[in-house]
Amino acid sequence: MAVIEVRDLVYTYPGVSKPSIDGVSLTVEKGEFVLITGPSGCGKTSLCRTFNGLIPHFYQGELKGQILVAGEDVTGRQTFDMAKRVGLVFQNPENQLFALSVEKDVAFGLENLGMSRDEMRKRVDWALNLVGIYDLRERAPHEVSGGQQQRVAIASVLAMQPEIIVLDEPTSFLDPLSAERIFEVIYKLNQEQGITVILVEHRLDLTAKYANHLIVMDKGKICLEGNPHDILCNEDVGNIGVGIPKATLLHKQLKMKGFPVNPKTPLCSDELAAQLLEALSK
Amino acid sequence: MSVFDGLKFRKISSPIHNLDPRIKFIYVIAIFICAILFPQMLPLIILFIIQLPFVFIAKVQKQWIRSLRGAAFLAAFIFIINVLTTFFYNNYTLTFTNVESALAMTTRFIVLVESFSLFFLTTSPDHLGLAFEQSHMPYEFAFAFTTAVRFVPVMAEEAQTIMDAQKARGLELEKGNILKRIRNYIPILIPLIVSAIRRSMELAEAMESRAWGATKKRTNLYLLKLHKADYILISLTILLLIITIYTKLYVQIPQISELLTSLTLFAT
Repeated sequence: MAVIEVRDLVYTYPGVSKPSIDGVSLTVEKGEFVLITGPSGCGKTSLCRTFNGLIPHFYQGELKGQILVAGEDVTGRQTFDMAKRVGLVFQNPENQLFALSVEKDVAFGLENLGMSRDEMRKRVDWALNLVGIYDLRERAPHEVSGGQQQRVAIASVLAMQPEIIVLDEPTSFLDPLSAERIFEVIYKLNQEQGITVILVEHRLDLTAKYANHLIVMDKGKICLEGNPHDILCNEDVGNIGVGIPKATLLHKQLKMKGFPVNPKTPLCSDELAAQLLEALSK
Repeated sequence: MSVFDGLKFRKISSPIHNLDPRIKFIYVIAIFICAILFPQMLPLIILFIIQLPFVFIAKVQKQWIRSLRGAAFLAAFIFIINVLTTFFYNNYTLTFTNVESALAMTTRFIVLVESFSLFFLTTSPDHLGLAFEQSHMPYEFAFAFTTAVRFVPVMAEEAQTIMDAQKARGLELEKGNILKRIRNYIPILIPLIVSAIRRSMELAEAMESRAWGATKKRTNLYLLKLHKADYILISLTILLLIITIYTKLYVQIPQISELLTSLTLFAT
């Protein structure tokens, strides 16, 4: 079942002549882990903003085409309405936390929805436990580390129990280890809670293995789309300026030099190691 | 960061910190009214002394003394102005009573500073925002307040980064006369303002994405509840007001200078 359907979307920011999104059509199935990648300024962030109606409601501008989330047209709904369905996590963790304690921040969305105190308490504790920051609940947001701040942001979106979580480069302010932990949390949500994940990310090395739907964008258009195993071995990907995982590159070289590896493209070092062991034991 | 350390809020717990901020505010207003009602020295000194136990229970003596020291200059100014005006008014004569009333004005000011600093030293911004929300003020107001407090440390850090960056490019902040020094800060202020505006855009976006404005009836995770200590404080406040009004109406308050002269007369 499709949760997001975008048809022939063209969007131009106000005061700009060139469209940021230029004829995009895509379908996201329920429970998928979608990875969107592409060079800076290719329209990834703009595309994310259309999923909960920030575009066109907050940004104005000119929009053509159709965006359906769970069968409903986004342009006809307010952003606060969409917030219950689609949770958005932004790049800079600092600028999406407003309250003076972690727990109050997680409750922010629920307070806006006018939820009862008991229900709110339950959901806040649930969300905090899910991302593993229950112990930090009484700290001030500026006292915790960047990785923990980003977890607070994820928890605050989770508390609203959306069907879809959209994360726009959530780890670009984090070190590699914190980034990996964030990806693990996101993967867990996708696997255990069945939440549809749309992740915008440059670091394919860390994320390609989680995805089952990869979208490569360039200049406002979708260039390649499909299973990451099929797409990352495509010659064009390297030319667009996408960071291909090292395991995939090594596999390609081995294959070119005639080493008898499994023809399936590996996405992480674990997969490649298994293939090499298999080839060597023959 | 040392310059900005004073701007950070800290979480401390004490019986005074845990009091309901609304009750504490009523208490501050009551002290304010009492101090305004008495022009004499004696009751103002009493008002000063009865507040001291709160300072010690809250364990904020150090910061409290610092805030009083900050007010010392203004207090001295008030004293001098009062003495001078009475001096010129009474054909260049100065009596004990005049000096005493000038001192009383100064003490009144110190009592006000004392109670306000006690309030702000023992009320976390978190609590204050909550008090705003739950006394039927528009939520936008409370939100603006807590968000401002939340971003003080962030902005302070940013200001420091910009200062370092501009210094690295050869900007000399501590050079020239006062006017020049003020002008030196322009290359720091402009990037700071620009980035604050950009930040506010991102904040607005994040707020929209978290259902800002979904309902008129917003709820709150925390509820302010009155405890035993709050009832004690409010009864003390009411008692203080009753005593004040009674004394004001029926008791003749002696001047300290009169007391002293009668004492010396008694001794001789």
